[in-house]
Amino acid sequence: MFDHFATPEPDEAVKLALRRIEERAAAGHGSDMEGLAFNEVVVNMGPQHPSTHGVLRLVVTLDGELVKDVIPVIGYLHRCKEKLAEKRTYYQYIPIVDRTEYVAGMNCEWAYAMTVEKLMGIRPTRRAEFIRVIVGELSRIASHLVAVGTFTADLSPLGTAMVFYMFRDREKVLDLLEEVSGARMMFNYFRFGGVRYDLPDGWVEKCRDVMKGMPKLVEEYESLVDDNAVFLQRTVGKGVITQQDVMDYGITGPNARASGVELDLRRTRPYSVYPELEFEVCTAQHGDIFDRYRVRMEELRQSVKIIEQCLDMLPRGPVQVGSLRAPYVITPPPGSCYVGQENPRGEYGTYIVSDGSRYPYRLKFRDPCFCNLQLFPKLLRGTKIADAVAISGSIDLVLGGIDR
Amino acid sequence: MDLLLDIIRLVVSVVIAYVVVFAAALANIVFERRTLAFMQDRHGPNRVGPHGIFQSVADAFKMMGKEDFRPALADPWIFTLAPIMVMIGAVAVQLTMPYTKGFTPADLNVGLIYIVAVTSFTTMAILLGGWASRNKYSLVGALRSAAQMVSYEIPMILALLIVAMVVGSFSLDAVVDAQADYRWIALYMPFTFLLYAIAAIAELNRGPFDLPESESELVSGYGTEYSGMRFGMFFLNEYAGMTIMSMVAVTLFLGGWHGPFEDALVVGGVAIVPLVWFLLKTYVLVFALVWVRLSIPRLQVDQLMAFAWKVLIPLGLLNIALTAAVMLWVPRWRWGLFVVGWVSFFAFVGLLDPILKRRLRKQRERVPVVTS
Repeated sequence: MFDHFATPEPDEAVKLALRRIEERAAAGHGSDMEGLAFNEVVVNMGPQHPSTHGVLRLVVTLDGELVKDVIPVIGYLHRCKEKLAEKRTYYQYIPIVDRTEYVAGMNCEWAYAMTVEKLMGIRPTRRAEFIRVIVGELSRIASHLVAVGTFTADLSPLGTAMVFYMFRDREKVLDLLEEVSGARMMFNYFRFGGVRYDLPDGWVEKCRDVMKGMPKLVEEYESLVDDNAVFLQRTVGKGVITQQDVMDYGITGPNARASGVELDLRRTRPYSVYPELEFEVCTAQHGDIFDRYRVRMEELRQSVKIIEQCLDMLPRGPVQVGSLRAPYVITPPPGSCYVGQENPRGEYGTYIVSDGSRYPYRLKFRDPCFCNLQLFPKLLRGTKIADAVAISGSIDLVLGGIDR
Repeated sequence: MDLLLDIIRLVVSVVIAYVVVFAAALANIVFERRTLAFMQDRHGPNRVGPHGIFQSVADAFKMMGKEDFRPALADPWIFTLAPIMVMIGAVAVQLTMPYTKGFTPADLNVGLIYIVAVTSFTTMAILLGGWASRNKYSLVGALRSAAQMVSYEIPMILALLIVAMVVGSFSLDAVVDAQADYRWIALYMPFTFLLYAIAAIAELNRGPFDLPESESELVSGYGTEYSGMRFGMFFLNEYAGMTIMSMVAVTLFLGGWHGPFEDALVVGGVAIVPLVWFLLKTYVLVFALVWVRLSIPRLQVDQLMAFAWKVLIPLGLLNIALTAAVMLWVPRWRWGLFVVGWVSFFAFVGLLDPILKRRLRKQRERVPVVTS
C-alpha cells in the first residue's frame, strides 16, 4: 500500500514508533472504527518545533487528534559537559556549570561549589552564604517567570501577552544579577568558599525596591489567567502526575510538590542558611497542569519573602574564605561526594570523584529535567495533541540540563 | 450606452474589490502588530515609514522576491492552485458590499445567501493546500479547518436567518435600508449579533478559534509547507478576512453606512460621509477582533466542537423560535425583540462564565486528590 505520509528515511526513533504501531495492530488494538485501514501516523515534533522549548524531539504517534505513543529523543544539545570536567581544573569548570541548566545558572553553580567545598571540608563565610541565597532565589524567580511564561505561550495567544509581561519583569531581576556578577545569564559568580565579588554599593536598596514590587506583579499575572474559564478548561485535571509516579520516576521540584509531595531540599535536606529563614514549602493537591502552574506562582512569592529576610539579616564581613582567594588551582583530597541542591526545576545534584589531582577524576550531574522527561510517554499517552503540548510546557524542561 | 456604463461599473467594482482586499490586508497586518505590541508592552514594527506603517508593504515585496519553492512530494497542481483560490472568497464578498449611499457594486437579491456561500470558499482552498502539501501538520490543520467551518457555519446561518426574517429580504441594500434612523439590528437584537460575532471569528480562523494554524501544536497548520508569495496569499487573505467579516457585520447589524450628516458631501451621486461611517464602524470591529485574540486562550478541538454543537446551535435555534414568536404575536414586535434580545444577551453573557466555572469546579472535585 502506498503510504501517503511515509517518512523518506526513518531513523531509529521513527522506526521504533512504526514497529510499535505494527505491534499494536497485530495485537488488535488498532483504530476503533471498523472497516477503516489502520490510520495512525508518526509525527516528528522537534527538534525544531515552536513548542518544544529548546531542542527536545518527540516522535509522536497520532490517531487523528489522539496521542497514541510518544518517544522522546534527546542529545541534540549534547556538549560533553561531564567529560570536559576531567580536563579542567576545578576553577576552570565553574563557567561551564552555568551552561548546563542555563535558565537558572546561579543554582547550578551553587550545587557545584557546595560539592567541591564538601570534598575539601571548608565552609563559606557567613556573608557569602547570605549572598548565595539571595542570588539563588533571584535566579529562581527569573527561572519560574520563564517557565510559566513559555507555558502560557504554548497554550494560547493570551499567553503571548503573559510571556511578554513576565520577560519584562524578569529583566529587572536579571539587571540585579548583572550588577552583582557582570553577566545576565552565564554568571561565573560562585567561588569555593564564597562568591567572586561583594555586592556593589546601593545594590541592597535596589533589590529591596524590586522585591517590593514583585508581589503586585505576581497578582497581575494571576488576574490574567486564574479566573479565565478557557484557561481552566485547558489545564484543570489534565496531565495528572500521581504520587506513585513521583516515587517511581524520581520527580522532584515544583512538579513533585504539585502532587502533594512535600519534597523541598531547602527544608528536607537543608543547606546554607535556609534553616534560619522562614518560608513555606508550596504544595498542591491534584498534580495537574493547573496545580503545577499554581505552585510556581506561590514559589515566586516565597522567594521574594526569602530574599527580603536575607537582605535584612545580611551580615558584614568577607565574601570569600581568605586562604582560597589567591590559588586558582585547588587539589581536593581523594574521595567522592554528592550534594543535591534545590534548583527551580527540582533536585540538581553534583557528584564528584577526586583522585587528589588538580582535575576531577569524574563528574556527574543529576539533572531534574532528565528525570521529569522520563515521565513523558506515560503522561502524554491518550491525551489530545493540544493537551500534550500544554503538559510538556507545564513540566518545564531545559534541554541544556538534559543533554549536558 | 447603458451597456458601456454597466461594463465600466463592473470593471470599477472589481478593481475596487481587489484594492480594498489588498489594502485592508496590508493595513490590518500593521494595525494588528502595533495594537498587539501596545497591549503586550513592547514596540512592534516601527522602522519602515512613520510608525512602521509601510512594514507590511516591505514584507510583501520581500515575499515576492523569495524563491518559489515547492516540496518534492507535494501535489504540484493543487499546491499551486490553493493560494490562488484562497483570495476568491474575499474578493467575491467585496462585490456585494453596500459601501455608501448610492454605491453598491452589485446588489444581489440573494446577498445574504451569497455571502455565506462564497466565504466558505476560503476553507476549501485551505483544505486543498493542506492536503496537497503532503505534510502531516498541514493535513491535521486543514482537516481541523474543515471541521470548524462545517460546525460554525450553522450558527452563523441561524443568525443571518434572523436578519432576513426581520428585514424581509435577502438583499444587502434592503438590510441597510431597514436600519435607517438608528434602528440598527444589533441595538435591538444584541444576542443575535453576539452569536454571529462568535461564529464569524471561528469562520475567520482567528484566536481563540485559530486551531487550523495553532502554532504551538501544528507549527503553522495548513501553511507549514508554504513559503514566499504562496504563503503571502494565505496570510493576506487571513488579514483581509478581518476587514471583510467586519464589513459584513457592520452591514447586517450595525446600520451599514448609516450615520449623522449622510448627505453632507455627495460627489457624482456617491455620498462620501457615509463611507467614512462605514469604515469607522468596520475598524472598531477589527480592533475588537485583535483585542479578543489577545484576551482569550485557544480552545481545544473537542471543546471547540462542543461549544458549537452544544451551546451555539441550540441557542441559535431557540433564538429563531423566540424571534418568530415575537414577530407573530407581539403587536409592536420591534420593542418585543428589543426586550427579548437584551434579556437573552445579558443572560448569555452573565451565565456562560459562571456555568462554565461551576462545571470546572465539579470537574476539579472529581480529579482524584493524589495526596494519601
